[in-house]
Amino acid sequence: MINKNPYIPVPVEITKIIDEVDTRDIKTFRLVFLNKDDEANFKYLPGQFAELSIYGKGESPIGIASSPTEQGYVEFTVMRMGAVVPGTVTSALHDLDEGAKIGIRGPLGNSWPIEFLEKKNIVVVGGGFAFTTLRSLINYMLHKDNRKRFGDITVIYGARNPGLLLYKDELADWEKRDDIKSIITVDKGDEAWQGREGFVPAVCKEVAPSPKNSVALICGPPVMIKFTLPVFFELGFSKENILTSLEMRMKCGIGKCGRCNVGYKYVCSDGPVFSLGELDELPRDF
Amino acid sequence: MLKKISISKISELAAALMDKGLLLAPVKEISGHNFVEIKDPKQVDLDFHNTIASPKAAFFPHKEDFIKYETGKPIDTASVVALNLPPTFLFGARPCDVKSFGIMDIHFIASGIVDPFWKQRREAAVIFGYAFDLEKPAQPEEFYQTLGIGAADPEGSDIFMVKKGGDLLLNSVTPKGEKILTELKILNEGKAADKKYYDEYIKKGKEYKTRSMCLEPGAITKKLEDLFQNTDFWNRVSSACISCGVCTFVCPTCYCFDICDDTLFGHGTRRRVWDACMFTDFTLEASGHNPRTHVYQRLRQKINHKYSYHVRKYGVISCVGCGRCTKYCPVNIDIYSIIEDAMKA
Repeated sequence: MINKNPYIPVPVEITKIIDEVDTRDIKTFRLVFLNKDDEANFKYLPGQFAELSIYGKGESPIGIASSPTEQGYVEFTVMRMGAVVPGTVTSALHDLDEGAKIGIRGPLGNSWPIEFLEKKNIVVVGGGFAFTTLRSLINYMLHKDNRKRFGDITVIYGARNPGLLLYKDELADWEKRDDIKSIITVDKGDEAWQGREGFVPAVCKEVAPSPKNSVALICGPPVMIKFTLPVFFELGFSKENILTSLEMRMKCGIGKCGRCNVGYKYVCSDGPVFSLGELDELPRDF
Repeated sequence: MLKKISISKISELAAALMDKGLLLAPVKEISGHNFVEIKDPKQVDLDFHNTIASPKAAFFPHKEDFIKYETGKPIDTASVVALNLPPTFLFGARPCDVKSFGIMDIHFIASGIVDPFWKQRREAAVIFGYAFDLEKPAQPEEFYQTLGIGAADPEGSDIFMVKKGGDLLLNSVTPKGEKILTELKILNEGKAADKKYYDEYIKKGKEYKTRSMCLEPGAITKKLEDLFQNTDFWNRVSSACISCGVCTFVCPTCYCFDICDDTLFGHGTRRRVWDACMFTDFTLEASGHNPRTHVYQRLRQKINHKYSYHVRKYGVISCVGCGRCTKYCPVNIDIYSIIEDAMKA
């Protein structure tokens, strides 16, 4: 934990802001700790999240998008909310410039189960904005010190249109590598788009990853998940070998405030990563 | 160690405790008694059945300030609020309410990350538990007997108090309690007859009748899990609910909170405040998705949290049967009847 008092954020500086998408409502913020001790205490794994904190506005739980193999900073990809509910913190964050200082509290939650994933073939399926902690995991696995620990890596990532794909430079890099099979798709391309068109579930069916010694990690909008899961069941993936990351409204992030429970589990401290097998044990209350 | 004092001298005892620290005790307010930080020892009034609000606020105040800051100033100029708690005397808490502290301890201290605020407030406190008056009947909404809690159960108190005619008997339960009793010179030594009366009173408290049913934690947990999808059941029991949340605020074991920023004229405070799972926006996500839009889903959450989820997670039912939720519900929703119905369903 970052602080003896788990409710107190530590200061970080925004050193880089990347506009990820054409709609300009998703930005990646690179944060550097102002104090070395805080940085040393912020030891995380892919799949974890943190509370980003702006005094006067509040806190927002955001998945960590960088990989722990990246040293000296931590990155978060944040969508500006506000179409339905105010989105106070994300809007304030989007209004900040490089050099601004904010607070961070974390790392929080469990992570993608790295030990469970080792020696297995990994199938990563992402849709739209729900790709941030998957990106953390992919970059973690691709790191030269880690790549040998995992089997084949297949990434199937889709967005509604090319302008909405996140991390475009990295996607291009992955396509060039031979130690990762990267399939990028969009629902509908534009004139410049030369890649694949098609919905994620259909592409999964076409790619048909083998369930043998494989784990699928699936994150995306509910409608994508709904149509993708049957594809993986048909391919022969068991519920224990399909993982996802849940979202619920959160406040404390440490299992105390009682907000994000699904049944007897708190998404913030027991999750956010769950296998479908684990979710089957819980009531449908999310 | 048994001590005693005439109830007519309670204000003197209160004054002695105020010399040592902060005194929280029952005070008669317009609509009933409540625990209040005592400013004038004469305020303390032990002529009550139970308080409107539970005494949980002693350790989990409505508002707990975390951080103070000035808006527009650099983040590292913000300051963490230090509690610096004086010794705190919680005087006159009923046995069922005292039991709630142990249930909350499991959540706030014994499991996962420790909540520093709850822990510090608990450690600073000396609890003077106070037996219900066994001569008077329980109030109709109470059901602590169902949960195995006696009307004169000293467990969880540091000092336990019993009324004997015009006297108040004070018995030490913990070393912390014994230390305080030793220091309070205003108290008289209890006699052998007092000790006998006290012991018999505690024993008699076990027989004291409240509403009661046979409730085995494993059985109700299983029953509620089976009932989860039974929308008809949950719609029926929640049909009158207006989502006001009063049941959660008066409850001794409800601990849901919000963390919010409050700024005024450039001065800011980040604090936690009580929140309630009965409110429509409690689970409203920034995307607009809300898993609990219907009132039946929220009442189902509350009942399940207390009688199922808490049992699965921590091994105990998160209810002490004080009956406040029923007593203060503006539309007469009765948690006891819901549990009874659930067991029969």
